[in-house]
Amino acid sequence: MIKLTDVSFNYRGVESPVVTRANFEVEAGEFVLVCGPTGSGKSTLLRIINGLSPHFTGGNLRGRIELGSVDRTGAKPHELADLVGFVNQQPEGAFVADTVEDELAYAMEQLGRHPSEMANEIARLAAALGIADLLDSPLTSLSGGQQQRVAIAAALSAGQRILILDEPTSALDPEAAHEIISSLAKLTKDLGITVLLSEHRLERALPLVDSVIVVHGDGSVSKLAPTDALRENRLVPPVVELSARLGLSKSALEPDELRAKINAQPNLLKNISTDASALPTQPAEFAGLNALEVRGLSVAYGENLAVDSVDLSVERGEVLTLMGENGSGKSSLLWAIQGSGERASGDALSNWGETQKLSPEERLCVVTMVPQRASDLLFLSSVSAELEDSDRFAQAKPTSTATLFARFAGRVDPAVHPRDLSAGQQLALVLAIQLVKGAGVVLLDEPTRGLDYEAKRALARIIGELRAGGHAIVLASHDIEFVAQVATKVVVLEKGRIKAQGSPVEILGADGLLPSQVSVALGQPGIISLEQIRGTQ
Amino acid sequence: MQSAHPGAWWVLGLALAVAAGQASSFVSVAVVIAIALALMLSFRTSAPWAQSARFYLGLAAFVLLTRVIFRIIFNGQLGGTDIIFSLPTLSISLGFGPALNLFGDISAATLSAATLDGLRLSAIILSVAMANTLANPRKLLKNTPGALYEVATAISVAINLAPQLIESIQRVRRSRGLRGRNKGIGVFASIVIPALEDTMDRSLALAASMDARGFGRRGNLSLGTLRLVRALSFSAAVTLAIGAYLLVAAYGFGVLATVLIAASLVAIAIVIRITSRQSVRTSYRKLSFRLVDWSLVAAAIAIALWSTTFATAFEQVLRS
Repeated sequence: MIKLTDVSFNYRGVESPVVTRANFEVEAGEFVLVCGPTGSGKSTLLRIINGLSPHFTGGNLRGRIELGSVDRTGAKPHELADLVGFVNQQPEGAFVADTVEDELAYAMEQLGRHPSEMANEIARLAAALGIADLLDSPLTSLSGGQQQRVAIAAALSAGQRILILDEPTSALDPEAAHEIISSLAKLTKDLGITVLLSEHRLERALPLVDSVIVVHGDGSVSKLAPTDALRENRLVPPVVELSARLGLSKSALEPDELRAKINAQPNLLKNISTDASALPTQPAEFAGLNALEVRGLSVAYGENLAVDSVDLSVERGEVLTLMGENGSGKSSLLWAIQGSGERASGDALSNWGETQKLSPEERLCVVTMVPQRASDLLFLSSVSAELEDSDRFAQAKPTSTATLFARFAGRVDPAVHPRDLSAGQQLALVLAIQLVKGAGVVLLDEPTRGLDYEAKRALARIIGELRAGGHAIVLASHDIEFVAQVATKVVVLEKGRIKAQGSPVEILGADGLLPSQVSVALGQPGIISLEQIRGTQ
Repeated sequence: MQSAHPGAWWVLGLALAVAAGQASSFVSVAVVIAIALALMLSFRTSAPWAQSARFYLGLAAFVLLTRVIFRIIFNGQLGGTDIIFSLPTLSISLGFGPALNLFGDISAATLSAATLDGLRLSAIILSVAMANTLANPRKLLKNTPGALYEVATAISVAINLAPQLIESIQRVRRSRGLRGRNKGIGVFASIVIPALEDTMDRSLALAASMDARGFGRRGNLSLGTLRLVRALSFSAAVTLAIGAYLLVAAYGFGVLATVLIAASLVAIAIVIRITSRQSVRTSYRKLSFRLVDWSLVAAAIAIALWSTTFATAFEQVLRS
């Protein structure tokens, strides 16, 4: 269905190509996962196939692209519109109509289909994606998962046989993300659509795809079977890593599958040794030193209680993690704790008193926060300008911020524009700026969003250092495997209330509310994270 | 209830604006304002484009007030014996010509003329506001002739981006507070730059999504037709400019001006017709003009006629 021959691509003014001599073929009805580290060129590769690169993004394309065994090299996106459907990260920004039905009709209107065919086609797709009840609804009233389904249906409504999705689940909670990927698998099986999907959280997609295209970041691209694809260290999800440590030649892709393999060959367990005590803990010298006390905190938006009388206490050297679905109140709670967010009632007491009563500058010395979109805090045109401005504003010694940044991110060219940093580097830069005044309480809102496995490991290391240094950390996250790596305490929120709280082992263990992949696969009490497992060979 | 055709709302809105512009008595202006406000308030929905109603009301009030206040300041003592109130006159010598007199005696005639002027402008604003509030821009887009579709799309995208920009600014402003500075120089830029970047990203995503779904597809026109279209549009533009000049210059070429303008409008219509053939687009559930819509248009024509011809006569009768 798709055949790339010697395809290379580079952006204008950038010497190193994003893609170098890519050669691969995708069969009709194949479900393909495109993966690679952040910034490796996954998005570009996907956009090359429907002509958005170079026609929309600029750049220089060489080689030959065949779609449905016709040479379509150099075709413009709208010329391919009846062949290739495209879905973006954030569906709400890409909608053109008011209601679901009109959105589905858009592509057919643009291609000049006869209005009488449209109703049938819309009904067929709405049924396939489970949005038939929503046809008359305004697009703005839908949940993130529903919006993404509508976007998928809208991308297929003109009878497109190829569907390209660029990280469609990055803004969804794990449940909604899982549903989207399952419905994609169904589309390939039931309707024979060829699907190319890029995704950071490989563990979601790996068990369902037929093959994997790896974009290595140096321009090389290879297409492999799912089990072979994951030798590359930067990409390995926990189950695959665990399979490797157990010495399995053919990696398991799902925790249940790995569990079955272990049950069949108990000898495998001899290849690893586990250490239940290898989880992050609060350093003994900070025990009992309270850093933050939250009492009866509520946040209301109009009639709705986003946060409903929450009590928390965090000591120095602790990492408290807030978990829960989208809309369970994690962000609202963090903003309220920080002091500048809305608050209906309750207290958040730091060592310097109620956070709400502190001035913005005082807060930076006490409680600091990195919001979901860390880049919102950056506005100068180079990293060095940001670092210097931060020192000046904090009245800190020159290079204080730069020292912190180097500790978090290693060596980064200071002349680079902050927008051109990777998501992980941006986060490190904002964290350095926010910490330079020495706040003892650090609030992080969904810090792993958009990070690949390597960047997540780097972030886990930073959080570990802050913990060892006596910072009190409160972080909100969906990412169970990441939480298992960094947390010392877990609080699960549901509809603004605390549903459960306990140690990571209690919540993320096999019998817990949110079991991690490692817990499910091994089923050993107290073992929830790869950090606790060593290979013995 | 399904709302009337967006095109019908716009025809009515523009007719009301014409009527407001022509109005020379309080009664006529009041009628226009009453119609516009009544329609706007009774058919308003909760759609995003309807949220601007409040803004337009504010703007109309602001224009009215400014007009009256300026008239009181730059009073000019145009006469009238019925002085309502007196302010101390402020004489400013400019060094040349007569001195500039500000404030002074304010007569009822001055005040009522200023109020009428202000109300007339407000009425025009409210008429357009009525159309803008009630007409769904996306439905209007479906019914635009093919040749104007791209332009209309640009306008519709712009309308949609405004609320997004406001949302981005609010979000970035909140995040900026986390860096401990909410005031001072540079804060404005530090909020506007990320918010604009955000809006830019969103509009690019929208454009990519539209392109990928076939927006911009078109058939080909033959070279001959293309030349004809170019020649026609050029001459229509020139004729329109000359016609408009003659009409405004008031040399007494009224008839000629009308003929020229009419001719250029016909030429423009032909161009739109020809180039629309190039478009391959179809419309799902295209809105048809129903009885309601035709009656709105009829009302609009009646209002426009009344305001340009009969109203003057009517007002003279009122005065005599």
